[in-house]
Amino acid sequence: MSLLAAKSDRNRWDVYRERPFWRLVELFVARVFRGGGDSDAPGLDLGMGLILTLLAIPGGFVSLFLLDKYGTFLQWLRGGTFPDPLLVSLPDEYFFIVLSMTVSGAVAVWRWDAIFPNRRDYMNLVHLPISTQTIFLANLTAVLFLAVLVAVDVNAASCILFPTVVAATQSQFVFFIKFAAVHALAVLLASLFSFLLVFSLLGLSMALLPPLAFKKASSYIRGVALVYLIALLSTSFAVPNLLRGVRGAPPIWAFLLPSSWFVAMCQSFRGRATPALITLGHLTFPAVIAVSVVALCAYAIGYQRHFLRIAELSEAMSAGAPSHLSTLYRYLDRLVLHTPFQRAGFRFVWKTLWRSEAHRLLLTGTGGLGMVLASQAMMNAVEATKSARQAALSTEALSVPFILSFLIIIGLRAVFELPAELPSNWIFRLMLDPDHQECESLARIVILLAVFPWVLLGVFPLYLRITGLEVALMHTLLVLGWSLLLTNALLIRFRKLPFTCTRPIFQQHSIVVLISIGFGFLLYAASLPEFESYALVHPGRFAAMFPAAFIMWYVPRHLAKSAIAEEKRLIFEDVSATSFELIQLSE
Amino acid sequence: MLEAVHLTKRYASIPAVQDLSFSLRPGQILGCLGPNGSGKSTTVKMLTGLLAPSRGLVQFNGRSIQDDVTGYRKQLGYVPEEAHLYPFLTGWEYLELVGTLRGMPRAEVESKVDSLLQLFSLHPARHLGMGQYSKGMRQRILLIAAILHNPDIFIFDEPLSGLDVTSALIFKNMVHVLGQQGKLVFYCSHVLEVVEKICTDVLILRKGLVIAQDSVANIGKILGQSLENTFLHLVDDVNTMTVAQDIVQVMQSA
Repeated sequence: MSLLAAKSDRNRWDVYRERPFWRLVELFVARVFRGGGDSDAPGLDLGMGLILTLLAIPGGFVSLFLLDKYGTFLQWLRGGTFPDPLLVSLPDEYFFIVLSMTVSGAVAVWRWDAIFPNRRDYMNLVHLPISTQTIFLANLTAVLFLAVLVAVDVNAASCILFPTVVAATQSQFVFFIKFAAVHALAVLLASLFSFLLVFSLLGLSMALLPPLAFKKASSYIRGVALVYLIALLSTSFAVPNLLRGVRGAPPIWAFLLPSSWFVAMCQSFRGRATPALITLGHLTFPAVIAVSVVALCAYAIGYQRHFLRIAELSEAMSAGAPSHLSTLYRYLDRLVLHTPFQRAGFRFVWKTLWRSEAHRLLLTGTGGLGMVLASQAMMNAVEATKSARQAALSTEALSVPFILSFLIIIGLRAVFELPAELPSNWIFRLMLDPDHQECESLARIVILLAVFPWVLLGVFPLYLRITGLEVALMHTLLVLGWSLLLTNALLIRFRKLPFTCTRPIFQQHSIVVLISIGFGFLLYAASLPEFESYALVHPGRFAAMFPAAFIMWYVPRHLAKSAIAEEKRLIFEDVSATSFELIQLSE
Repeated sequence: MLEAVHLTKRYASIPAVQDLSFSLRPGQILGCLGPNGSGKSTTVKMLTGLLAPSRGLVQFNGRSIQDDVTGYRKQLGYVPEEAHLYPFLTGWEYLELVGTLRGMPRAEVESKVDSLLQLFSLHPARHLGMGQYSKGMRQRILLIAAILHNPDIFIFDEPLSGLDVTSALIFKNMVHVLGQQGKLVFYCSHVLEVVEKICTDVLILRKGLVIAQDSVANIGKILGQSLENTFLHLVDDVNTMTVAQDIVQVMQSA
């Protein structure tokens, strides 16, 4: 009987699923996960399962690392005491909240183009006998489903593991249940809030900006959202301690920082909140409701203004204004771009960087990370010293151009690997001589032009004013010199025209590359400024830097010289080397 | 009968189509010709209900299509100019989705999709993502999607774009058969020979205005020349030979 009932329920569900509305919901969900922008170029299709797994990993890992902090046995071995877990867990709770906000917001920023129905949907769906209201509701249902799915997925591991780790010190199961429930509520709400905040931003931009202006501004708005999310994540180092120290009324910054509302709500529910936290905690539910209402309204207006007018807009779109960069290009042609390949290649690379959404976004992400780290370093420098000169000569202030240049160089180098409209690369395949390519010099010019101007026009005059000519000159030369050396090291055997070559998504040595970048960052953006600060006292100490600089100069040069002709040929397909090769001895 | 009654469409006060009127009877295959920017696409979008006219109306069987646009679209088969398909869906999945959204019974969708994929030589590629399809394959998918539900009105906007010779011949013959069966066909194209061969009537647009409208045979008779020459005579004031010579001259210049 129960089998028959289950079968009948399943049949009913299958029939229900076949309704146009649910088919549309399915389509919109699939579109978000599997690439659905206006471009016909194949997107980064990782599949729903892999994306959800990747999103769930950080929460799980961080929870496990916390065993070290909360494990009673480890504490006992260290001779530590067991303080109130509800109080000591505040920084970790805050971290999980900003992590869930950052990841959920980043998903919304990443799939920005696919969240809202676009021209492709219009052309495929509107001429079918389904009303535009049905399309609206189906897409809205899909977006809400995704918001909940991402929130649950991102926080699933931490909702079980984090309370388990914290409750390990407690004998009562009720403690675990209460702790887990409050944690789950906070991180899920934070996730939803962040996702809907980005969604509201998208909807408001569509509702307020004219379609052409929105199209142009879209990636910049996404960039700002991304920088905000990165900045939010970086607050996890400082905000918990600041919140603990608040006495009386909460400060203004806490009102402006949504993550502090959610952690305050947690502490309120756990009975460990100060009056300031109680006040902040009261903001949580109204904020989530407000952002949901704004998202819904903005989405409805945006749908009306953009989606329903796509046919009209595509006809009425005027041609864009001509580029005003021709004068700049002429100067560059005279000064740095000496060959026809460099001139044409530079224009291609520069325009792709500015116009391709994916490339611009990746670059904005690394640039944003650089800005966040640099501003933190700057804040530390100003806080720790009294005079402007002292601040400028501190390790933290000296590290600012190193941090920025490192992330710009690494960001550009990574972006060069990201293909853009691969089917269009036939023109380069057809025209370029693979044995006489100048890809390395072109890439070097692009990278250095992204670093040198602001160092020369920003860092040098600033240091000249604050510290005098000698220090300004040494600091500028050091930043420029090491930028050049780092660029050379990153371009060893670079033989692709940026954006025109295929690349396997996950290569065998990807982890090694990531670790090397982390290590390189420490050396370049932390050790170098520290040494500079030490050497500026007695400039003769700079001589100790020469051996390292010589190695950084010599190794890329030697490797370039020793490369055989085959290793220098221009490539359009990057095939990973196999672990072993079969040698055909019979041939 | 499908009628366009004094259709006018303006974009920010610039007229794209002005006072366009015609009627399309069952069995009639009306070709729509015109150079770029003549208003062909705007006309097609108004006929499909994708675009609301600034003035005038489109009527089907005496009723404005805007009164029941969903009901009208149930009887419409449309092949758009650009094949904007979902690259992550397979050909089979896309057609099955279209059939379901059109409210067709599942069994009918499956059997029709299967047969049509075979007839359009797409059966072996039916489970491949459409991102891997060639332009011709995508166009064939669009053609199948347009005829799947046996509509009464067909609106084809450059339907032969990217099709190979065999598929194009099959399609042309299919349009002819549809006409014989009393369907209404509106056929927009740049290819004059095709319009001349398969259409019964022709509508020539220039800068949003109708400059000629008659049967293909009559238009030729009136001016005593082929449709291509008639078209050039009516639409373009350009001496094509002179322009061609100028192009070659520029190509050879230093």
